[in-house]
Amino acid sequence: MTMNGSSAPPPVEVAPPPRHRPPWPSGLQANGSLGLGVLAAIGLLVWVGVNGYKQTLLVTAATYALIALGMYIPFVLAGSLSLAYGAYASIGGYAVALISTETRLPLWFGWLIGPVIAAVAAVILGLATRRLSGFYLVAVTLLFSEAFQNYLSNASFTGGNAGLASFRNLDVFGWYPSNEQLIIASAAVVCVVAFLLNRLRLSPWGIVVRSMREVPSAVEAAGTRVPILNLVALAMGAGIGALAGALFTQMSGSIQPDTFTLNLVFLAIFMPIIGGTGTPWGAVLGALIVVELTLNLPSLHTSGTLLVSLGVLLIMLVAPRGVLGYLDTGRKELMRALTPTKGTDG
Amino acid sequence: MADQPLLLEGSGLKKRYGGVVALSDVSIRLAPGEILGLVGPNGAGKTTLVDCISGTQSANSGVLTLKGARLSGPASRRAKLGLARTFQYPQLAQDLTVGENLLLGRVAMQHGSWWRMILQSIRGTFWVGRSSDATVVEAIAEELQITRLDRLAGDLTLGEQRLLEVGRALGQDPVVLLLDEPFAGSDANGVAGIIDVIRTVQRRGHGIILVDHNVDLVSSLVDRIMLLDRGHVVFDGDPAQCIASPEMQRVYFGAAALEADADFETRPDDEVLRHVP
Amino acid sequence: MTDPQLWISAAELGCFFGLLALSYYVVLAGTGFFNFAVGPYAMVGGLSAAWLVLEHGFELWLAVAIAVVATMALAAVTELAVVRPVQRRSGRSELPALVAVTAVLFAIEQLAGVIFGYTTLPGQELLNIQPITFGTSVILPSDLLLGIVTIVVFGGMALWVRLSRTGRLLRAVGDSRDAAALLGLPVNRIRLVAFVLSGLLAAVAGLLFAPKAGVSSTSGLDWALSGFLALVVGGTATVWAPLIGGLILGALQVFIPFYFGGPSLSYLLLVLAIVFFAFRPQGIFARRVRV
Repeated sequence: MTMNGSSAPPPVEVAPPPRHRPPWPSGLQANGSLGLGVLAAIGLLVWVGVNGYKQTLLVTAATYALIALGMYIPFVLAGSLSLAYGAYASIGGYAVALISTETRLPLWFGWLIGPVIAAVAAVILGLATRRLSGFYLVAVTLLFSEAFQNYLSNASFTGGNAGLASFRNLDVFGWYPSNEQLIIASAAVVCVVAFLLNRLRLSPWGIVVRSMREVPSAVEAAGTRVPILNLVALAMGAGIGALAGALFTQMSGSIQPDTFTLNLVFLAIFMPIIGGTGTPWGAVLGALIVVELTLNLPSLHTSGTLLVSLGVLLIMLVAPRGVLGYLDTGRKELMRALTPTKGTDG
Repeated sequence: MADQPLLLEGSGLKKRYGGVVALSDVSIRLAPGEILGLVGPNGAGKTTLVDCISGTQSANSGVLTLKGARLSGPASRRAKLGLARTFQYPQLAQDLTVGENLLLGRVAMQHGSWWRMILQSIRGTFWVGRSSDATVVEAIAEELQITRLDRLAGDLTLGEQRLLEVGRALGQDPVVLLLDEPFAGSDANGVAGIIDVIRTVQRRGHGIILVDHNVDLVSSLVDRIMLLDRGHVVFDGDPAQCIASPEMQRVYFGAAALEADADFETRPDDEVLRHVP
Repeated sequence: MTDPQLWISAAELGCFFGLLALSYYVVLAGTGFFNFAVGPYAMVGGLSAAWLVLEHGFELWLAVAIAVVATMALAAVTELAVVRPVQRRSGRSELPALVAVTAVLFAIEQLAGVIFGYTTLPGQELLNIQPITFGTSVILPSDLLLGIVTIVVFGGMALWVRLSRTGRLLRAVGDSRDAAALLGLPVNRIRLVAFVLSGLLAAVAGLLFAPKAGVSSTSGLDWALSGFLALVVGGTATVWAPLIGGLILGALQVFIPFYFGGPSLSYLLLVLAIVFFAFRPQGIFARRVRV
């Protein structure tokens, strides 16, 4: 997204003041957000407590956040919009479900194999669409989602439209985590993924991927095979998306072909834009906002999704840096106000 | 220089777009430590030739070798063999800082194959911060007098962007450096800086191919000049001879001008204007 | 493939897809941009008319007029409030506009759900005549009207593109916005005309197709995809190419499930899309590319 980091255009044709960032990532940039993220997660967990409804909300929010984080590398960093994430999440979910119902393998194996299969599926779809970008890629991945959902409904091993249910409990080498422990683990997984993605964004790998969005020819000429890097980015995203599916399926205890709808994928595109594309934590914040608006506010009822979609348009038009982007600006302004001696030329 | 093995050698290069022939049977050679100037009017095929050498576009036919090794396939593979280039329209990630753009040239080759991409992503996730590459990049920035690595590349002037592109290419430690109009839009300081870099690369025994409209400037810098006209090489040799050659007169001013005024000044006034993008 | 009733269905779907593709085509020619919101436009056209008649007892033709005007207004708002500002900010990058138009698609779908409800409403018959029967086959009045209007609309578009000044300038603006602006062409006005016209075409398509299977707030996405596929299959060489693409897609949609079962269609559409996008993105009827 090129609106990432750019401020609204000035009304008159005056060159904007130069913007700057530290040339190399500082420890604060790479790790500072983790502290805030963990604090927020602990706050949420305390708020949730043992309330079953709130627990479901939190798991849903974690699922949304993971799908949005899965889209973060290909969509926000590399700039290619794929809408196949419903299919990837389904792969993750069905992997857990099938390992549980059809095999005697430990359940964590399902958590592992789902992301791998989803990554392979993403590479195959990516190879088939390697010449496509933009509108064409959106259209093909939409058609893929529909075809895949159709396949899940009609295949015999997936249980058809009824899907699969009643799974074994998750065991991790003999340890059977309780429901509360799993809830905490969901929040922890989101924090860890966001934290690692943020470090990845700042790493040399992240620089190459972010350059690929704007100037693929320069990246290619500098020695990175751009189509392959695209596939790697897609595969990583699909893996994280499958993790979301595994989490939701494990916690809800059932999965159907339409568990991960296209609506969810649309919302997942909007989450980083709402929260802020500058860091993966923006996608997490966006997921929390979307869950709050669409599921937790009874006064909004069905119009919560409408509010989200209109809100996204508004954010794109007037506040392209999202909520976190503005909080960050606010923080910098505050710091500058507190240290007046450093002058205005930061 | 004649008895030295050639760095870069190409022959029979052809490129056509539909019915238009952009390159017609072009041969090119470059010795170690040599600076080759590539001149010609708009549409002569200069950038197409650079693209076909670097792999940004693929030639329809022809053979290219770099130090005896066959140059073929995508640009990334050729980069690994030692080619680096800049672009006529600077290709910089506008949202990234100057430092990050410089670092791209240094690290892109470490992401050469799919398993190295995965390896690098894991490495990048667990080891964030200053690397040895950052030190190298800072040395390059100092050499080119690029200051303020914390600015966003999109905020630079055109001249600064060209300098930054040269810096990014240097990060690749190239054997052959292809510079596509590096002076256009640069001020006197920028031009001097780029000329310094060209001399340094030359002293290391590497080769440079320099594309520009400005025949005077190019001929003062290069060891040899190649004049392109509508996809054909019409002159290949000594810069001073090239300026005086009838081919030069014909290509730049047309046959009529050549007949009308044999002593025509070789540098038209609008040459300066052409450098304004 | 001998049952004439199937051919009538195929032609009907084909006309509908053709009109949607034409709606895409107008915006594409003028802006070089695929407006995915044409599917939701068509949905609004069909659904709002049905809603006004069934829920509020409006006169049929008044409801149709309101629906068409509302859809055209929606298209104008898309251009003025969303696409133009986003494209101005993002420059040559396509992604922000793509995300914006996806958000528009989603927003219209949600808005329609809130206003018109989430149930499927039957489309309104605009022509009150007896169905025409021959042998065992029946041509419904809605089929007849859709066919006639499609031919009239495409003929009108062909004339408009050739004869009117705006129509002729449309392509010039789409080819190079900057060059057109340098030449002093009224780029913004032509783009707006293209969007409004696209809204009109989509509304007509939605209104005429709604009687076939009803229309609900979620119809828009599928329609957007079908129209897009029809345009890609047909190409953009002439105004008539989208209709050819639509008819081909309509025939596939009818005959493939009939002979190979329901799920085969979605697989086939995926393969068709990948093949066309990858190997012939310019469609069957391509405009000769200038160098």
